[in-house]
Amino acid sequence: MKLNVDGLLVYFPYDYIYPEQFSYMLELKRALDAKGHCLLEMPSGTGKTTTLLSLIVAYMKAHPLDLTKLVYCSRTVPEIEKVMEELRKLMNYYEKEMGMEQNILGLALSSRKNLCIHPSVSKEREGKVVDGRCYSLTASFVRARHAADDAVPICDFYEGFDAHGKEFPLPPGVYNLDDLKEYGQMKRWCPYFLARHTIIHANIVVYSYHYLLDPKIAEVVSKEISKTSVVVFDEAHNIDNVCIDSMSVKITKRLLDKCSNSITILETTISNMKENDSKRLEKEYKRLVEGLRDATIARETDMALVNPVLPSEVLEEAVPGTIRTAEHFIAFLKRVVEYIKTRLRVQQVVQESPAGFLRDIHTKVCIDRKPLRFTAERLASLIRTLEISDLTDFSPLVTVSHFATLVSTYTKGFTIIIEPFEDRAPTVSNPILYFSCLDSSIAIKPVFNRFQTVVITSGTLSPLDMYPKILDFHPVIMTSFTMTLARPCILPMIVSKGNDQVAMSSRYETREDTAVIRNYGNLLVEVAAAVPDGIVCFFTSYLYLETIVSSWYDQGIIDQLQRHKLLFIETQDAAETSLALINYIKACDNGRGAVLLSVARGKVSEGIDFDHHLGRAVLMFGIPYVYTQSRILRARLEYLRDQFQIRENDFLTFDAMRHAAQCLGRCMRGKTDYGIMVLADKRFSRADKRSKLPKWIQEHLKDTNCNLSTEECVQICKRWLRQMAQPFSREDQLGISLLTLEQLQSEEMQKKIQQRAQGV
Amino acid sequence: MDDYQTCPKCKTTKYRNPAMVLMVNTCGHALCESCVELLFAKGSGACPECKCPLRRNNFRVQLFEDPAVDKEVDIRKRILKEFNKRQEDFPTLREYNDYLEEVETIIFNLVFDIDPTNTNKMIDNYKKENKDITQKNRNRQSQEEMELEELLEAEKAQQSEKANLYVNAELEEKKQKHKAREKLIDELMFSDADAKSIVASHVQATAALAKEQPKAAAQPGVVKSSKFSSGVQIGLRGQHTNSFLPIPKQEDLPLYRYTAPVFDYDGPPPPPIEKLGKLNYFANIRAANITERAGGYTEAMSCCRALQEALGGLFYSPQLMHKTAVLATNSSTQDTDDMETT
Repeated sequence: MKLNVDGLLVYFPYDYIYPEQFSYMLELKRALDAKGHCLLEMPSGTGKTTTLLSLIVAYMKAHPLDLTKLVYCSRTVPEIEKVMEELRKLMNYYEKEMGMEQNILGLALSSRKNLCIHPSVSKEREGKVVDGRCYSLTASFVRARHAADDAVPICDFYEGFDAHGKEFPLPPGVYNLDDLKEYGQMKRWCPYFLARHTIIHANIVVYSYHYLLDPKIAEVVSKEISKTSVVVFDEAHNIDNVCIDSMSVKITKRLLDKCSNSITILETTISNMKENDSKRLEKEYKRLVEGLRDATIARETDMALVNPVLPSEVLEEAVPGTIRTAEHFIAFLKRVVEYIKTRLRVQQVVQESPAGFLRDIHTKVCIDRKPLRFTAERLASLIRTLEISDLTDFSPLVTVSHFATLVSTYTKGFTIIIEPFEDRAPTVSNPILYFSCLDSSIAIKPVFNRFQTVVITSGTLSPLDMYPKILDFHPVIMTSFTMTLARPCILPMIVSKGNDQVAMSSRYETREDTAVIRNYGNLLVEVAAAVPDGIVCFFTSYLYLETIVSSWYDQGIIDQLQRHKLLFIETQDAAETSLALINYIKACDNGRGAVLLSVARGKVSEGIDFDHHLGRAVLMFGIPYVYTQSRILRARLEYLRDQFQIRENDFLTFDAMRHAAQCLGRCMRGKTDYGIMVLADKRFSRADKRSKLPKWIQEHLKDTNCNLSTEECVQICKRWLRQMAQPFSREDQLGISLLTLEQLQSEEMQKKIQQRAQGV
Repeated sequence: MDDYQTCPKCKTTKYRNPAMVLMVNTCGHALCESCVELLFAKGSGACPECKCPLRRNNFRVQLFEDPAVDKEVDIRKRILKEFNKRQEDFPTLREYNDYLEEVETIIFNLVFDIDPTNTNKMIDNYKKENKDITQKNRNRQSQEEMELEELLEAEKAQQSEKANLYVNAELEEKKQKHKAREKLIDELMFSDADAKSIVASHVQATAALAKEQPKAAAQPGVVKSSKFSSGVQIGLRGQHTNSFLPIPKQEDLPLYRYTAPVFDYDGPPPPPIEKLGKLNYFANIRAANITERAGGYTEAMSCCRALQEALGGLFYSPQLMHKTAVLATNSSTQDTDDMETT
């Protein structure tokens, strides 16, 4: 249908629209008009992706000069594929309505592993190996060698792309990963480099977060994306952790040993080269003396090593004299690695600021800050000069060089923690150096600065006001949308006590209490008896899950449970978990019914949807707080408190509640779906926790359902399930939660939508 | 982790003898402590590996896994004591970098024993030529070091201050909560008022407190630095011209209600402006012409103003005036006193 959103003609590829989708468009349009950033929360299953795409595409068509490109960042490959499907639907609709080919090019980009079509390289399983082998076939010096000697293998697909691909841009259309591969096969061009080349002029790019947030990758891939783009981060409730991970480094003893090995390799290669071909080293040396930035860095295939974020004024400076020649640099690296080794030889935990580290490295091994800053850059240049084609062995050394560069660049917002052993196994010596980023705004800052509009959206972003604080930006729009429903299809309840009136809580003091564990068990058994099909349970940690299951076993609860449903458990092993999931789905599909025990923050809670009969009820046993004794977390909390005035407890509760909401949201994936959400912990009913749940859940959480016992909960469930089991057709929804164009345009509805927009 | 460290002479390993300590001398070859005592009983001897003459006094505990690094660091420290020119001592960065490389080459040569005669000559030459600068620089911290020191100092100061502040604030808050709760219970027990109203007032009071709290917490806030240490700007401030302030959030304040201002004329009230025409005041006033009317002026305005001025202050009592005058003089004398004392 064709909509009029605040004066903008929007083609929407479906015949019906949800009212909240329309409000979402209104808000999004405002943000685009204001050229500012925005933060939008809308429940999962209400068609966020379509809404975003159709509005932004319409805006691009209406204002081609103000908005040139859409960069859509998602988390996983399946999610990227889903976005591409929606986009294809939208473009088909445009074509049908306007009757001509649309001049819009949209494509997905993923790693080489997912895009490679080289007959042998694409067989590799591991991403790093594919990257390494691709590099060994396409690096500029390999190709130069091939020109001299035909025996040196190269990649025909890359050659094909290099010879012809650049002159012929991809014709307009929508390309997902498979389409790109097919097109590459047909033309015999490398799809990966074709895609990377095409991003520059594509209108819509869909890829993973890392291409934009990880400074090491962003530099190469996303450098040339213009300012007038809109960037969308979908499923962005964990965006701060992604930012932090992309800037943090973890160094173990094994990694350092590998570093020593690779340094020896470098050393021998240098001495070989000195004997055979000293010209090249001299050339590199001269370039470094002149302080010219590498001209070859622009060459797209040599991207394997890049510099982490450095201010440009530093990069323009010449490499300091201490590490200019190759041998000196090798000696320098040796000292750095040996120094870190000595630091790892600690008996107790050490926490240090980067400034303290720099001073110590200066006194111990006489290394100044400035050469340290150039380590990553210098190493990249050296490896390129030495023409080493197998890069996989050097990744430990690259990690250390990144660490050196980062530690000397940023003295604020980072901390160094050296732990001699893990907390769980204090007798096994396993020293690890964590260089941990505390400030999530550092990695995302360039994105906010560079692009005119950044949209952060997810099904669960509550409480909204925390994100601008921890990411340090000013949103122009910050809105949470609720779901309009024709029937109350979610039933959130807080169960605080068992039938024996013992309070249920996963508090540290009571979590080992058998009464609490038994009550949790009884709750699950009774819910399993009342609820049909699939039930998903979330625990606060793997450890807690295991202790509870073992004592349920002793108490006979497992037996009782198995009388009603089959039982599946998530483990830390990914393969095991996916097998359990497949069988869980099978059990639900054939009507046997099943219970899945899983962990908040685990794989199941993040990426897997339990729609319809796969998840009729979600039980959250306890509040999923993070492990608060972790030193990295403590350091981050302290930093947040000092820099952003966020209190420890506020952040911990925020983090716990967003994960709880994420778990609860698993069972609702659409308006025809229905599900029970049980929060089994006394503490959920407190105002500070309750108010942090997303609006669309809070709306249905009545005061009467906030302090229930097991029995009451089951009674309510039964009544509600009977109501939900009534036939429900589209006609019931029409006019309330599903609108035709006429209904949308009716005055009454417009008024309601206006009210909703202002109400938030 | 160092279990495989072995003494090259007696082949003891760290695994078999955890108390073993490896030592290194200027040549960069390791020996365990007991071997050192055995071989160098006289105070000097030859290194069992490279046969170069060594003194016992020069043995130090090996810090690094690779004894060659120990040796290098040793030499480096010695050389850098002499070669301590700073970037400020050179006219261009290029020359400074050349100098750094030269130093590096000297160290490299010494470590690997390349061309020792020439290298030593170079060192001696340098020593002679640059005596003054070397001396001067020894007592001077480099800019970089100073920066680091400063940062460390700031960190320390901040930490101790902050820790106390927040701990106290949190304790205070807990106490207050506790107090409030006890108060509520007391009231519920002893007062005769309706329980509902007591609870309601309690809720209000806590809400008011909660509103105050964030302000109090924000006050001791640090001055946020606008730059990272690397010189990159934090946040959007300054750099980005089209950044926007957030839309102010609507707070739940009571609605604004207009109340007419009350004037104290110190005299009889002047007639209201609407009635001036009726009371025939305009007779004495020049009527506004067309151009004046176009600008929104009416004769009523000036008439009303004249009346207010005429009547204002008619009942004015001088006593009040006297009081304020006295006050004024007092404060002025105080001022002058202050001036004198300072």
